[in-house]
Amino acid sequence: MNKKFYRQIEPYIWIAPSVILMAIFIVLPIFSVFERAMNKVTRAGKLQGFNNFENFTKVVNDPAFGLVLKNTIVWTIAVVVISTVLGFCLALVLNNNFKGRKIVRAIVVFPWATTLVIQASVWNFIINTDYGTLNTLLLKLGIIKQAVNWTSTPEAYFAWEIACGIFVTIPFVTFCVLSGLQSIDTSYYEAATVDGANYWQKLRSLTLPLVRPSLTVSTVLNIIYVFNSFPIIWTMTKGDPANHTDTLVTYLYKLAFYNGKQGEAAAVSVIGFIILLICASTYMIYTLRKGDDT
Amino acid sequence: MKKILTALLAVCLVLSMAACGGGNNNSTPAPAPDANPSTPASEPAPSGEKIAINVIAAEYGQNTKDWWAKFQDEFNKANTGIDLTVEVVSWNDIYTVVNTRITGNAAPDILNIDVFADYQADGLLLPAKDYVSEATYNKMYPAFLEQSVVDGTVWAVPDLASARAMYYNVDILKAAGVEVPKTWDELKAACEKIKAYDANIYPWGIDMTTDEGQAAFAYYIWNNGGDFTDASGNWTLNSDKNVEAIEYAIDLVKSGLTNSDPANDTRYNLQDMFGAGKVAMMIGPNSIPTYIKDGGSTINYAFAPIPTNGGNASVSAGVMDRFMCFDNNHSPEKIEAIKTFFDYFYDDARYSDWVLMEGFLPATSAGGEIVAKADASMAPWVEIVGSCKFYPTAKAEWADVKQGVINVEQQALLGGNVKELLDNLQKQIAG
Repeated sequence: MNKKFYRQIEPYIWIAPSVILMAIFIVLPIFSVFERAMNKVTRAGKLQGFNNFENFTKVVNDPAFGLVLKNTIVWTIAVVVISTVLGFCLALVLNNNFKGRKIVRAIVVFPWATTLVIQASVWNFIINTDYGTLNTLLLKLGIIKQAVNWTSTPEAYFAWEIACGIFVTIPFVTFCVLSGLQSIDTSYYEAATVDGANYWQKLRSLTLPLVRPSLTVSTVLNIIYVFNSFPIIWTMTKGDPANHTDTLVTYLYKLAFYNGKQGEAAAVSVIGFIILLICASTYMIYTLRKGDDT
Repeated sequence: MKKILTALLAVCLVLSMAACGGGNNNSTPAPAPDANPSTPASEPAPSGEKIAINVIAAEYGQNTKDWWAKFQDEFNKANTGIDLTVEVVSWNDIYTVVNTRITGNAAPDILNIDVFADYQADGLLLPAKDYVSEATYNKMYPAFLEQSVVDGTVWAVPDLASARAMYYNVDILKAAGVEVPKTWDELKAACEKIKAYDANIYPWGIDMTTDEGQAAFAYYIWNNGGDFTDASGNWTLNSDKNVEAIEYAIDLVKSGLTNSDPANDTRYNLQDMFGAGKVAMMIGPNSIPTYIKDGGSTINYAFAPIPTNGGNASVSAGVMDRFMCFDNNHSPEKIEAIKTFFDYFYDDARYSDWVLMEGFLPATSAGGEIVAKADASMAPWVEIVGSCKFYPTAKAEWADVKQGVINVEQQALLGGNVKELLDNLQKQIAG
């Protein structure tokens, strides 16, 4: 009896440390953020009781919030969609046999392996009007006569940030898809070739359905990562000018640590959490169900 | 069986969460006697036991940590009954560290930071006269002490200051045939001449970033006779003079006389460009010479008062940091120990050493004299700092105003109407 009991309890003992760690470092902070969002919080960080969702109404009524929400959606969709398409294409290329494939694969990892703050600083350095390498290069090549201000409007700056976001996200997608591609049995393609399918038909009817699980994983993770991404925007613009390049995460950081409004920052955090939860779970349910149907 | 175990595990989990959560985030402050168990409220410390004082200090630069370490050693040797611990924290983390400590009912005894009003508003601080001896208190510039007054009481004491002036590249101004501008009209004319001389040089540097955009706001409104508040302390953000001042600054940007991206070029970017001879004139702190020298630049530059408008006297913007003492139910012995700490710190020789360490300006008159004597290049600054204006940091709304004026500037850069923007801000702040 004792041995049997031990055997049954054993797996729980093994997973207990990670469950406890997760509870302390993930569940507790989430709980604390929700608590803060519901409470009046002084600038010095003291909680002063439930304040009837005032943090939420204040945040939602702030004219900047709509703009920030729009930016966040544009940022997430643009980065995730474009990097998924480009990453997928790159994976298809890298899945072929060619000379130097290993070196190319190693190079693709570089943007992923570098710290985001460094990446963003380098992009800032490239596009800077006064000492940027892009202007210097174009001037040297004689393509432009005068230094161009690449970031003359907030929208332009935001577009550069999105470009940087795409650049650092592609490797992750590429490697997810590549792992999916490599697990596909080549006999499928041989059979399709025998049946007379062309390249596009094979891509649509074989490759895409077979890498869907990998694509789902990479897309869900990317939605979460990109939505919550802080370093690129913070390093490049800090959300300036006037919230025009802010996303929810940089916005709430400013609220908490520049404006001292921790309660409102927590409210923004909760709103972001709920949006993410809905988006990610909808996407997962949709794709997994579709996978079951076929 | 499995179900029972799962349920058991879940209960354990919830319990462990509750146990951890309870101590951390009580919505009501813990009862006072428990606030700081290490310092008994009324009982004197047992004889032979040292009185512990813990200090959190901001890290001003590379030398701060070493300076405090040496200070701590010397202090503890000189005062055997006191055990002083100084924790030096970087500016990036200090607010979070202090707030976490306060939330956990473990506020430091003494804090060295820039702001105090938020802590005062929460009733966490002691009045300055309670913990600073009269002799030391009297050493401070009265104008500095006034910056820490709420409801007629001084809550914090100044530890150092920095002031701002206009820096200009002597060679560029000479080559462009421009005199050092004293008024706004002269400034604009000078900028136009410099631009005509070399279109690749930015005649004037402006920083309207989230980092320090409030400084630009202050430079222009103060030198146009405007201010953040009136004499009785009511917010006057949308006064005509303020509107005129910000419109002038925005006009300089729109006329192409400044750096191309004031919403993203921080003061450090401007200082770099100034050091590289790319910006001809900018307003900056007294630490610029050190910054430029460390950057390896060899430009020929000088500084002058900030240009003004409407015949107003030039106003320099001062930035001041402070010491404050948290009300941790200190025993009378401990209060004496804290007084000893401040007497020791503000000792004239030691204090001027502290100020000179990172090239700041002193907040005491005796310190000022010593610093001016020790370093000739600091002498004009010591004079400037005695007469400069400060941000109204003692007001509880200051954090909102600071972000608000930066937002106004950035909206104006995007084409917003300065008057409307400031009207809105005034309404939002003053109700």
